Amino acid sequence: MTNQASPVEEQEKLLEEALNVVKVQAFQMKRCLDKSKLMDALKHASTMLGELRTSLLSPKSYYELYMAITDELRHLELYLLEEFQKGRKVADLYELVQYAGNIVPRLYLLITVGLVYIKTNTNLRRDLLKDLVEMCRGVQHPLRGLFLRNYLLQCTRNVLPDTAEAQNENEGTVKDAIDFVLMNFAEMNKLWVRMQHQGHSRDKERRERERSELRILVGTNLVRLSQLESVTVDDYRRLVLPGILEQVVSCRDAIAQEYLMECIIQVFPDEFHLANLQPFLKSCAELQPGVNIKNIIIALIERLATYSQRNEGNINLSVVMEDGKEQEVQLFEVFSDQVAAITQSRNDMPPEDMLSLQLALLKLAQRCHPDKLNYVDRVLAHTDKICQDIHQNSGKTHLEHNTPVFKELMKILKLPADHYKNILTLVQLSTYSALIRHLNHPGRTMIALHLANIVLESDASISTPEDVEAVLSMVDVLVKDQPDQPTEEPDMEDFMEEQGLLARLIHHFKSDSADQQYLILSAARKALQGGGARRIQHTFPPIVFHAYRLAFTYKDLKDQDEMWEKKCQKIFQFCHQTITMLAKAELAELPLRLYLQGALAISEIGFANHETIAYEYLSQAFSLYEDEISDSKAQLAAITLIIATFEQINCFGAENAEPMRTQCALAASKLLKKPDQSRAVALCAHLFWKGAKDGKQWPLNDASRALDCLKKAARVAQQCMDGGVQAQLLAELLGRYALLRERGNASLTTNLIDAVIQKIREELANLDQSEEVEQITKHFHNTLQHVKNRMECPDPDQLGYDGLVLS
Amino acid sequence: MSFFGFGQTADIEIVFDDADKRKVAEVKTDDGKKEKLLLYYDGETVSGRVNVTLRKPGSKLEHQGIKVELIGQIELFYDRGNHHEFISLVKELARPGDLLQHTSYPFEFSNVEKPYEVYTGANVRLRYFLRATIVRRLTDIVKEVDIAVHTLCSYPDVLNSIKMEVGIEDCLHIEFEYNKSKYHLKDVIVGKIYFLLVRIKIKHMEISIIKRETTGSGPNTFTENETVAKYEIMDGAPVRGESIPIRVFLAGYDLTPTMRDINNKFSVRYYLNLVLMDTEDRRYFKQQEVTLWRKSDKSRLPLHNPHHPQILSHPSNSMPRQLSASSEDNSARGISPSHAENIIQRSVSPSMADGDKQNGPSEMEQDTTEVITDKLSNSHIENEVEVPVATVKPLEKPVLTEKPQVAEKPQIAEKPQIAEKPVLSRPESVEATPSQ
Repeated sequence: MTNQASPVEEQEKLLEEALNVVKVQAFQMKRCLDKSKLMDALKHASTMLGELRTSLLSPKSYYELYMAITDELRHLELYLLEEFQKGRKVADLYELVQYAGNIVPRLYLLITVGLVYIKTNTNLRRDLLKDLVEMCRGVQHPLRGLFLRNYLLQCTRNVLPDTAEAQNENEGTVKDAIDFVLMNFAEMNKLWVRMQHQGHSRDKERRERERSELRILVGTNLVRLSQLESVTVDDYRRLVLPGILEQVVSCRDAIAQEYLMECIIQVFPDEFHLANLQPFLKSCAELQPGVNIKNIIIALIERLATYSQRNEGNINLSVVMEDGKEQEVQLFEVFSDQVAAITQSRNDMPPEDMLSLQLALLKLAQRCHPDKLNYVDRVLAHTDKICQDIHQNSGKTHLEHNTPVFKELMKILKLPADHYKNILTLVQLSTYSALIRHLNHPGRTMIALHLANIVLESDASISTPEDVEAVLSMVDVLVKDQPDQPTEEPDMEDFMEEQGLLARLIHHFKSDSADQQYLILSAARKALQGGGARRIQHTFPPIVFHAYRLAFTYKDLKDQDEMWEKKCQKIFQFCHQTITMLAKAELAELPLRLYLQGALAISEIGFANHETIAYEYLSQAFSLYEDEISDSKAQLAAITLIIATFEQINCFGAENAEPMRTQCALAASKLLKKPDQSRAVALCAHLFWKGAKDGKQWPLNDASRALDCLKKAARVAQQCMDGGVQAQLLAELLGRYALLRERGNASLTTNLIDAVIQKIREELANLDQSEEVEQITKHFHNTLQHVKNRMECPDPDQLGYDGLVLS
Repeated sequence: MSFFGFGQTADIEIVFDDADKRKVAEVKTDDGKKEKLLLYYDGETVSGRVNVTLRKPGSKLEHQGIKVELIGQIELFYDRGNHHEFISLVKELARPGDLLQHTSYPFEFSNVEKPYEVYTGANVRLRYFLRATIVRRLTDIVKEVDIAVHTLCSYPDVLNSIKMEVGIEDCLHIEFEYNKSKYHLKDVIVGKIYFLLVRIKIKHMEISIIKRETTGSGPNTFTENETVAKYEIMDGAPVRGESIPIRVFLAGYDLTPTMRDINNKFSVRYYLNLVLMDTEDRRYFKQQEVTLWRKSDKSRLPLHNPHHPQILSHPSNSMPRQLSASSEDNSARGISPSHAENIIQRSVSPSMADGDKQNGPSEMEQDTTEVITDKLSNSHIENEVEVPVATVKPLEKPVLTEKPQVAEKPQIAEKPQIAEKPVLSRPESVEATPSQ
């Protein structure tokens, strides 16, 4: 019945035991040192170091033990150093410590003593360093070897020769230091990699965790190399980098390769990287399949991009060509070539990683070569090719939503958009819109909205028909139905929002040149007309309004452009077609309103033959009213609009006006509900009597018909059952009487007005008090107040209310 | 008369001429203690005086003569009674007569040849001593004083190294190299082990120095093995392509020069035993004889600076192969021409391949380890010393287990080149032998 201790407790126990031994031995050692009994002290040190021979500790516990022991070794080192400096040298100490029978304690002691020798006599430095690093080969156990070599590295960190020229051959130069560290690095890396292949495969995860805990030990070698100040770019190119890379590549271990490559990028200066891009990237291509090469290259690209930006792009990059000549190259070119080579040579690379690389390249191109758009384009073209390959492999035509590749491509697409903030720049990128098409429907929608927003935010104009076409083809997904769109109806609110954005985008299709603008609009309509009823109801109105505005522009330009009238005609023809398309799409109210708006514009501009065209517009509106609008409320609204429009248009002669106003009156009287009828008919009165313009009366004014309309309206109003409604209608009618009378219609006599007033009073008296009634009363009294005001201070230009008695 | 304690008697004292200046050497006595003795070399004159002190001054001492002898002898412990004297020189100091007072007699053995070094081992002792005798009728008065003798050698500094490829087929192939085959007693063994193939999980590797003392001859041969030193040179399991440095300082160990067939009585030989231990505690080893010799101190001293680590030299400095970074990279391995030749020979010559097969594991159980290791390494060593270039490894695995002894393998007898091959002895190969 033994309690099986958990692995953690077991480790703690083992560690504690070891630490106790260390404590005791260290104490003894120090006591012997105090008594100057060096040999005994060494023996205790050796016993203490013997604890490091254990195979039972985990890397973490071993590290703690190692720290405790090396701490104690420092005492020994300091003692020896002091003795040596005092001239009390111990004969053959370097040899003496080598009698230790066990290799691990022996080598720790050897390093400690070797360091003392080096510090007190630099003449020994070169040979001792070489010897130490060589002798450490004896420890082939990964964990023990790694820590031993780490100790070596730690001890020697301040004594490595760091001069290009040695005063004395034996002191060594920086080249010896490089050799030393490189050799140590190679050996440590081998040990580290070997850990992977030892033990059961079921412990793989734990082993990998342990390895990652130890990686810093290996990486320290590279840090040490980077701290050698007299290493020149040339040294780095000839000695340091090839040494490291050879080791990294040949170790064929994914964990090591990934970590070390990143280490290289992080520890060495930018200038070194710049001078050695090609060999570095070439090695990247040779790494193991499991290595996440993307991260490495991206890290490098970003580092250099930042560097380049810091130096405002002034980086000299020369590459030795195959023929031995040096040639200046652009940072981007090098990366682009190498990344292409890497993606080609590594078949196993996940496509999203390839895209990430392209993304990094894109960033580089934008940051370092802001003026070279063709670089960006090249990246995009390459991306396009990758996407095609992806399709080929997956058998699908689009990238699925929210897959890694999808996300990467999205980033690639958004990056230039956000960077340039200008859709015209994107238009210049020939493959940009082709790339968009690789996304699936929701993806394309997202990017289209993004682009539209960019235009809106930047408030840029798109001023050529070609650009318009290109832009619209980029947001193709908004413009028309897609073969791959979801079969169910899209969310209406979202759809409206999307189309609203598109409509806003269309407002940015404008050019300073009027002729150009026309072409733009034609192009836009051509592109947009395939969108179906759901879309054109959002997209055509802006075009139509653009066109109307253009017509006004031509009007302003009429002194410069003789052809302006012709052009205006053409514009309205264009608008007509456009609106007809809307009408054909079974829309009624929208085309109706657009026709009316058009008619207004036409009458305003007044070019040749405008009356016919205006009439055509109005009649089209009317026929829409008749054929398409059936809802009574809508009918009222429509007829109100038509009446209002007609009232505003002054271009018609009697020939055209007569049928129109008669039709209006007819239509008004045919409305279903009495109140509606009453109101519409009352409005019609305005068709027969318009106010004076520029002091002139409208020639077609017909006072009696206006009166007829009002009378009919009053009659109809009185037919209403509800007294409140009646009162309200009459109150409104009173307003119209007053208005038309003030506009000079004399046939509306004060008697008639008085009769209306009386009638209203009557009705109001019959009504019970309610909020509604109160409002009506208020309306009525306001009108009366107005009339009273007019009576008190009459406007000389207007017809007064002579004879009216308000009680 | 003297039986009863009342006759005249005398003390003898032997005083050496230059005792105060002469160096002394520590020599083990047969009871295991160490004793400091005056040190003489071959050909040196041994001179001094024999002082006879009378216990009872005044009365005379009657004697049959006084002599002093210089004796070099070998004592075999199993044959206590018989001492083999290889030197016996006598000087007459006085003719028979009476001794009346303290007398001092000078003596001198000039330019004595002292062919052997003093030695105290497990079964044998070789000693030199001076014996002064006052011969009397009944009991002689005798005084013996030991002296130490060291034999010096000198070999040229450039010596042939030992380099050899050994292995067990498909299991372990290593190549090792010791920088010399002859080391002086304060020398340093520098070498390296290169792993060509590792399919076993090695725990550690050590070099031990084995002293083998052989005494007697014929049926009365006694062999005593003693491990003088154990020195761990590698911790953990190497992989293929790894090369491990060896550096062993000899000065710290209790060693004597190699002695071969001393006066046909005994030999002391030294072997470097390279031992690999796997995780299941099986031992794989290869013994290699080295010759130890004593170097004159005078030539050593001037070269030696106590504050300068003497030995930094390392085989790697002259061997390019170990920079090969990839453990898998076989091509980077430097291959000596002879090695390559052997490889070719092996793959082409049918007889060779045949021999390999026949030397396969199934044969190994025929001999007991001790015998075969001894025999083979004894017979090989001569070859190796003469031809230190690496030979292709044979693949013999001697087995420890007791097996009926079978007649010698014919192929070994017939094919000398196989017999010459060094063996990496692996005693506990039972599990690893597929044929079992």
